[in-house]
Amino acid sequence: MPEKRRFQASNKVLVVGGGMGGIRAALDLAEAGRDVVLIDKAFSIGGLMTQLDRTFPTNNCDLCTLSPHLSESGRQLHIELMAATRLTNLNGEVGRFKASLTTEPRYIALEKCTACGECARKFPDEVRFTPGLDHRAPTCMRYPQATPYAFSIDKGRCANMEEVARICPAGAILPDDAPKAQEIEVGSVILAPGADLFNPQVLGNYGYSVSPNVVTSLEYERILSASGPTRGELVRPSDGKRPKRIAWVQCAGSRGTQAGSVPYCSSACCMFALKEAMVTRERFHEDIETTIFYMDMRTFGKGYERYLQRAKNDYGVRLVRSRPHSVEPVKQPEGLTGDLIIRYVPNTESRVETEVFDLVVLSTGFRVAPETKELALKLGVDLNEHGYARAASLDPVATSRPGIYVCGVYESPKDIPETMVQASAAAFNASKDLTPLRIVSEWQEELPPERDVASEDPRIGVFICDCGINIGGVIDVEGIARSAAAQPQVVVSEAIGHGCSRESLERMRNVIKEKGLNRVVIGGCSPRTHETLFQDTVRKAGLNKYLVEIANLRDQDTWVHLDRPEAAAAKAKELMGMAISAVRLAQPLIEHTLPMNKDVLVVGGGIAGMTAALSLADLGFRVYLVERSGQLGGMAAKIRRTLEGEEVRPYIFDLIRRTEQHDRIQVLKQSMVVDHRGVAGMFKTGIQMGPRMFYRELQHGITILATGALHHRPDEYLLGRHEAVTTQLDLEAILEDQPEIVKSWQNVVMIQCVGSRTPENPNCSRICCQSAIKNALKLRQLNPEAQIIVLYRDLRTPGFQEDYYRQAREQGIMFATYEPEDKPAVEANGQAVTVSFTDPILGLRMKVNADCLALSTGLIADDESTEDLGTIFHLPRTADGYFLEDHIKLRPIDLPIPGFFVAGTAHAPKGMRETIAQAQAAAGRAQTFLSRDLINLGAVVAHVDGDLCAACLICVRACSFGVPFINDEGHSEIDPAKCNGCGVCAAECPAKAIQLRQFEDDQILAKLDGLLERMG
Amino acid sequence: MENFEPVIVAYCCHYCAYTAADMAGSMRLRYPANVKIIRVPCTGKVDAIHIMKALEKGADGVYVAGCLEGDCHFKNGNTRAARRLAYVKKLLDDIGIGGERVEMFLMSAGMGERFAQTASDFTEKIRTLGPNPVKAALGEAKRAVG
Repeated sequence: MPEKRRFQASNKVLVVGGGMGGIRAALDLAEAGRDVVLIDKAFSIGGLMTQLDRTFPTNNCDLCTLSPHLSESGRQLHIELMAATRLTNLNGEVGRFKASLTTEPRYIALEKCTACGECARKFPDEVRFTPGLDHRAPTCMRYPQATPYAFSIDKGRCANMEEVARICPAGAILPDDAPKAQEIEVGSVILAPGADLFNPQVLGNYGYSVSPNVVTSLEYERILSASGPTRGELVRPSDGKRPKRIAWVQCAGSRGTQAGSVPYCSSACCMFALKEAMVTRERFHEDIETTIFYMDMRTFGKGYERYLQRAKNDYGVRLVRSRPHSVEPVKQPEGLTGDLIIRYVPNTESRVETEVFDLVVLSTGFRVAPETKELALKLGVDLNEHGYARAASLDPVATSRPGIYVCGVYESPKDIPETMVQASAAAFNASKDLTPLRIVSEWQEELPPERDVASEDPRIGVFICDCGINIGGVIDVEGIARSAAAQPQVVVSEAIGHGCSRESLERMRNVIKEKGLNRVVIGGCSPRTHETLFQDTVRKAGLNKYLVEIANLRDQDTWVHLDRPEAAAAKAKELMGMAISAVRLAQPLIEHTLPMNKDVLVVGGGIAGMTAALSLADLGFRVYLVERSGQLGGMAAKIRRTLEGEEVRPYIFDLIRRTEQHDRIQVLKQSMVVDHRGVAGMFKTGIQMGPRMFYRELQHGITILATGALHHRPDEYLLGRHEAVTTQLDLEAILEDQPEIVKSWQNVVMIQCVGSRTPENPNCSRICCQSAIKNALKLRQLNPEAQIIVLYRDLRTPGFQEDYYRQAREQGIMFATYEPEDKPAVEANGQAVTVSFTDPILGLRMKVNADCLALSTGLIADDESTEDLGTIFHLPRTADGYFLEDHIKLRPIDLPIPGFFVAGTAHAPKGMRETIAQAQAAAGRAQTFLSRDLINLGAVVAHVDGDLCAACLICVRACSFGVPFINDEGHSEIDPAKCNGCGVCAAECPAKAIQLRQFEDDQILAKLDGLLERMG
Repeated sequence: MENFEPVIVAYCCHYCAYTAADMAGSMRLRYPANVKIIRVPCTGKVDAIHIMKALEKGADGVYVAGCLEGDCHFKNGNTRAARRLAYVKKLLDDIGIGGERVEMFLMSAGMGERFAQTASDFTEKIRTLGPNPVKAALGEAKRAVG
């Protein structure tokens, strides 16, 4: 707990910005035993993601996925969370920065506030439960699981602070609170300030300031959200009617040159719009027509192409390729109807069409806030021409100032998974600037030994919180305590006031010791938020932390029955009865631990594998790097330049040299993985190596898979059968090595999406659009006269790659769309090939004699090796053969089995820059394991009673994680290190031989007894 | 029978339904106090025996509430629970207690309103069905023995 914290000077990291990126970076650092100060200018952390209703591509609700992270963040010992705080200055240098911080007054003491909401109910205008998001609904709460879970007061609107102070039952109001300035020492800094969303008021033609029924995509998200201003009712702002026809207008303020627009692409809006349209269709079925007006559908992320297909084919989302010219209110003689008319020129026509909609959603992109630009200026961090932090193309999270790293949208517009990758990469880089890792156990609190209670009869202590008036104002807490006292084996039962306050916790600890209690029941708020706190408390009193049970008297009783106090009191007694019955059967549980083997296995010696290996070896870990071929370098060794023009080969050669010479890296070439066993921290993997296939067993603690993907060469468009037909990768080599040939070309055609986005290979290969543009620009430079035509389906140059696409158009490179149903045709014509395609605007078939036809063939999963490795390591793969991560949104580097991480194109097609970021991130995630001496595996795991087990295999089949197996003794065994603790096997087991710890059958039945037995 | 207040047991998964119930609290929604929640890590943990025992011990209705389809924290525990529940329903129909006394609901953690609505609707349904016949039968059996 905070008073125990002993920060070392300059051995912590300052993380600026508490959005998803900042939280991930802080958690990674904390898990690696590093101290973090996490600041955010808002009154609670969470950033943009907390405002979303659902996120792509899973369409899950965010609260479920995000809130555990927030409370995780709130209770991490190593994280000091400072809300309403800004970085105002940074002196010194890497390793020895002095950061000046200023904290706004909250006027509420965080340690006393119980978030009961009394103040907000009495003074709704003056008290913020985090600021209102939607300017159209200023009182809506931003999201219900705010961290810190406390309110703040807007002093500017508060006439009488004393009055607010009087109604606060916890006495938490601080009328004289003032801004606080402080200086802290940090070793490195991570900038994760995120970005604002564009305010489309400046766009005159889209009617945002004219009609309330033109909303931004985030406002629409809030309309859909259960915690939003309409509580999830889909109604349009002007008249509260359910809209029937909704249009999304993409690139509102992005990819434009007109006033108020930015030239870059915001990267996430296409998926965002598809998600909103799909959720709308899903929730309201056929009632609502959804239309998306777009320029290019940029669904380039992992699995996003399938998402697009689902939107189109399964959900009936209508896609219109066109950038609308205007959105205007429909005017009738009797006035405005609230409806909107969209004028647009379809891609295939040259005349203006009009269509009427009930609601128009503008897909507005990211903008760097002026405040963030000022901060960069103060910090001496270079910005690019768009105001984003400039990071080198092959060092994606390093800013221009050593010791300052960047992640998330502030580096370039991106979605959440990529933000998570960069956050872990930034955390890793930031930790390298600190003093070398010390042993984490030094930092653990000194706890008294656990008392052995196995032979004792239960001696139960009951403590009931009043939570101010939240519980105490509805039911008679003393009365509940008296009735609990009458139950068998209850030794103490008392009301404890605010149970979570420091004094009450101390009292509980003392009572436990004095009365020799061995079981504790708390009647209070939700165990979701407070279980760990009370577990800590009983542990500090010398009891195993699993000997406490919480009855949720607040969130699930007094708050929901406050108008029926008698019913609430009766229910409270029943809830207490259930908890007391269950706690009698609670057993001390052991959290399984294993000693950590700190060696690392990296499979794959390409750019991802080498980067990860070097990153960890530089920190002092021993790394085995297993490479199937005879040389390091992988696919990146074939690439010559990045889109930005940086030479790749010197970079790769340097990487190879450093890897081969590093005294902590053992490079095992011509080697393959053949077998594997063990759990994270003690893996054993068999390798066959060298031309003679010697067998060797490696012992290691974690595994990083970086096996890459393959350069795709589909049998299409005469590839491999005509000398004029080549791939983008091979064309790049020609451009570099044989410029004289290039100068003789008159016509060059490029075809995009060859062998990608097809039924056989549904993923977008992601790298091909930028490769085509890179090669086209180089070609134009070598041969200004040549005609260059790019035939594409959607041009996908997200973020600042858009700049190069624009350059290419400006330089006269021609771009024409084709439909997958009407693909270009290619036939040999002497030394050239004739390419015919349909001109989308004229509708005519065109023919071009091309001296060179470059096919953008992209990547394809290395199905053979991922299948082998997937089988050997028991790792799941996607339908198209890439490794499947643990959580596509929040954990894009961790694989579902603890201790496995993935980096590079083995995860999904991606560019070099993203690959390097992911490799650094994998090293960072690995570090969170490797920094510990022991691995804590938790206690809520399934356990088999071998005597009862009939080895029927039902558990083996039921487990979604493939954990149970039949052991040598002929019964099922569940490895606690692998068990996820869902309890499915326990429920399925016909012999009841399996029990889930903490949720054993007799504990659940005891709850039923506690509830029902007195009723018989 | 007019004063019949059904006793309802709701098995709620930690990640979704239990959180939704907490959210109903923080939104101060109202639902009948008849519903008592038992928290489980996943609805996949809820065994037929937990449902049957609840009825045997005198609950008038039991429901299991888990994550939306596809949202299960443990991949597919909710669909397993739904399958098991269908089996229990049939069993209850067969022995004359009536499968309609048990139900499965899906909701996300953000759906406080759905939690409250579900709790109200289910309570009303059980109220209409009347007391659990097992209770009466047990009472008679006890009297006969006594």
